[in-house]
Amino acid sequence: MEQRVDMNKLRSSPAGHSPPPYEIVEHTADWAVRVRGENFTVLLHNAAVAMNMLLVGPETVTGREEVRRLSLSAYDRESMLVEWLGELAYLAETEGLIFSEYHFDEVTPEQVRVTITGGPAPVLHKHIKAVTYHNLEVLETENGLETTIVFDV
Amino acid sequence: MVKRSDFKQVDPYTYEIPADFRPDMRVPARFYADGQLLEGALGDKSLEQLVNTATLPGVLKYALAMPDIHQGYGFPIGGVIATELPDGIISPGGVGYDINCGVRLLGTHLDIEDIESALDDLAGALFANCPSGVGRSGHLRLSAAEIDDVAENGARWALKNGYATAADLERTEENGCVAGADATKVSKRAKDRGRPQLGTLGAGNHFIEVDVVDEVFDAQAADRMGLSPGRVVAQIHCGSRGFGHQVCTDYVKLFQKVVHHYGIKLADRELVCAPLSSPEGQDYLAAMRAAANYAFCNRQIIAHLIRDTFAEVLSGRVDNPYVYQIYDIAHNMAKVEEHEVDGRKVQVCVHRKGATRAFGPGSPVLPPVYRDIGQPVLVPGSMGTASWVLVGTEGSMQRTFGSTCHGAGRTMSRRKAKRTVRGTELREALAEQGVHVRAGSMPGLAEEAPIAYKDVDRVIEVVHGAGIARKVARIVPVAVIKG
Repeated sequence: MEQRVDMNKLRSSPAGHSPPPYEIVEHTADWAVRVRGENFTVLLHNAAVAMNMLLVGPETVTGREEVRRLSLSAYDRESMLVEWLGELAYLAETEGLIFSEYHFDEVTPEQVRVTITGGPAPVLHKHIKAVTYHNLEVLETENGLETTIVFDV
Repeated sequence: MVKRSDFKQVDPYTYEIPADFRPDMRVPARFYADGQLLEGALGDKSLEQLVNTATLPGVLKYALAMPDIHQGYGFPIGGVIATELPDGIISPGGVGYDINCGVRLLGTHLDIEDIESALDDLAGALFANCPSGVGRSGHLRLSAAEIDDVAENGARWALKNGYATAADLERTEENGCVAGADATKVSKRAKDRGRPQLGTLGAGNHFIEVDVVDEVFDAQAADRMGLSPGRVVAQIHCGSRGFGHQVCTDYVKLFQKVVHHYGIKLADRELVCAPLSSPEGQDYLAAMRAAANYAFCNRQIIAHLIRDTFAEVLSGRVDNPYVYQIYDIAHNMAKVEEHEVDGRKVQVCVHRKGATRAFGPGSPVLPPVYRDIGQPVLVPGSMGTASWVLVGTEGSMQRTFGSTCHGAGRTMSRRKAKRTVRGTELREALAEQGVHVRAGSMPGLAEEAPIAYKDVDRVIEVVHGAGIARKVARIVPVAVIKG
């Protein structure tokens, strides 16, 4: 069973008023994305979608045969973001898997339990060496939360 | 925001931001550049990042930037600081994720006319034999014990297993093995990432090149390395792969917690650090050295594959296809060294993030063959343009903690490069220049287009003019292999 994920659709907001869930930010040597979400759970979701965009491009068919349960620990929202994306980047590097569905069972800055569903990526466009803490800060905005994440590629 | 007017010019190639520019600076920041490179660096956040490194505890004299500086994460790429032992800091983010990313230069006994007709075959065979690209595994399958052996013995593991000669190791920084590495300080995940990747190039800006010597500037040093106009050489640019990336990731996370314990205030969370004398600092140093050893071994395995490939393609076509080692250097590393500071000998931890060690003549750590000319410094340019062979100088010892530049330095984002250049067109343009390109990804090729980089010749003029390295030879590519 396959699911087509059109990530271009996710880039623009449906109503066209609120800012998009994520956008790519210029960075001289690496890749950066600005991510938004109405709360921390949505921010984690949108950050994963944004990273998938870098890894496999805008329109990619991914399988749904892989289901994993993750339990992540961190110190605060920023370190949890790094932990979450780092785990997904690790699965992409070591197993060639891309996960596009996320069912969060528990979300706090210190603890996340999540079930992720995905499958093998036909082609990985980019190798993410690491998710960095460079100027990483989860900011409160009038629409929720916003952060900019720099990936070492 | 750093402005042009914030700098005072110290000499023709040195610009300085005084320590009172920002209240948290402990030392001034110095940038080796000319006017044009300085203007260019104002276009991204690299100089703010340089100022941030001047705030780190224990930093001595100056936070330094080389002329190939560009924006990184935490440290700028092209940044150098030395912190005083025992309580000066060590910063995993300051070394970066690709620990001991570096360059190896291999020599041959061939002139370009000898192999011109075989170049396309050679490029194809190198691409086939040397694993590269996203997610590509190597030919080796290491056991858990073997990955520990690699981590603690570096290129010696390759020697023991028939992938190196004693001369290869002698002509490698640290002889291919940094002392003090401890595999028990490296996570299982780092080892698991590293096990299938030994002997692989990876992607991004990593490459193998076949080059030809274009011009010689220092006949004695060039002769010592076997370089003369028309002579064929090869370069390898890569690092510690997932092993090193994970070591950095693990310790940046750990240090997020301990940095507060040591009362250190940070300008950027990626600069997390701990005193080198602390248990955490010592653990990171031992793990970083293990990753450095992995990288030395990685480049050694690739050198062995290149040596075999030259023999496979050129045997019967040339008299002697043997490929020998000229030198191998790291350009992402923290190293404990002794330097003279204000007339006293001081033990320091030199962080070189996108910068090359450049020890001058007479240094006892250099192999005997190079001791009187200074350490070979290998500076790859952008794809399709020149690269340089330099030597370290007394000037680099006095001014930059024995450091100099590491490359051309980016000026354009990867995204913009891809919008500006198509990979297939770039490959064709390079082919018209006589450069045979093999690449696993055309968008990846476009990201590394020469237009995205500074002019490496200008960068070299600065380090040569400033006396922090000396020109030996300029080499130009004839074949490029990329992941």
